[in-house]
Amino acid sequence: MTQVLAEKIAAVSIDARGPRFSAALTTIVLAVTLVTSNIWILGAQAVVFLIGSTKGPQFTPYAFIFRKIIKPRLKGKAIVEDIRPPQFAQSVGLLFAITGVAGALTGIAPIFTIAVSFALAAAFLNAAFNFCLGCELYLLLLRVRFSHG
Amino acid sequence: MIGGALGSRATLVQFSSAFCTPCRATRALLENIVTDMHDVTHVEVDAEAQLDLVRKLNILSTPTTLILDPSGREVGRAVGAPKREQVMTALAAIRQ
Repeated sequence: MTQVLAEKIAAVSIDARGPRFSAALTTIVLAVTLVTSNIWILGAQAVVFLIGSTKGPQFTPYAFIFRKIIKPRLKGKAIVEDIRPPQFAQSVGLLFAITGVAGALTGIAPIFTIAVSFALAAAFLNAAFNFCLGCELYLLLLRVRFSHG
Repeated sequence: MIGGALGSRATLVQFSSAFCTPCRATRALLENIVTDMHDVTHVEVDAEAQLDLVRKLNILSTPTTLILDPSGREVGRAVGAPKREQVMTALAAIRQ
């Protein structure tokens, strides 16, 4: 069993500090979104989430900033991690961002506020405490999906 | 059902998933602990592939580690990445 799971672990690993830096930037962007109720900022963040969830979290503009500006200034050894947990988190972020945009476009302001707040909370927890969204959500989603399907 | 032999003193059954960063550190810790203990084994279960078991044991997040006694009965459970001392304390309690 251990063998089977080990084989499933993706070969792609990245510097674990990258996703955490991205989460910090995302926190700021979403906080500004919430305060200004600006749908365009949320739209831009949605594009970042889209890239992160489809191409991978190492291809977002935030990851680019991390590689070019932050990483060269960091001391200490890089801890690498599997890209799939942060990629899952990006997908969840995308879902909230799309929901928020839809809320704003249809004029239902509370949907915008709630969706952005959830995304902000997740991004903040990730940046501040290294919170792992996939750990808490993925199994629950699977359990719900397969008990109804 | 867990896909491994029970240890003569205890078995550490770790439920993991692909979208779980601390699962890797937990695997490393538990594998390291059992190398020094011939009577304790570590089994890792892909939660996604064992959803019935996950539901039956009411496992909500990964990593979750169950501590089984020699008869396979659950005597302890760690939700999230456990610390070495926590695992050692739980294992010491089984010996008595």
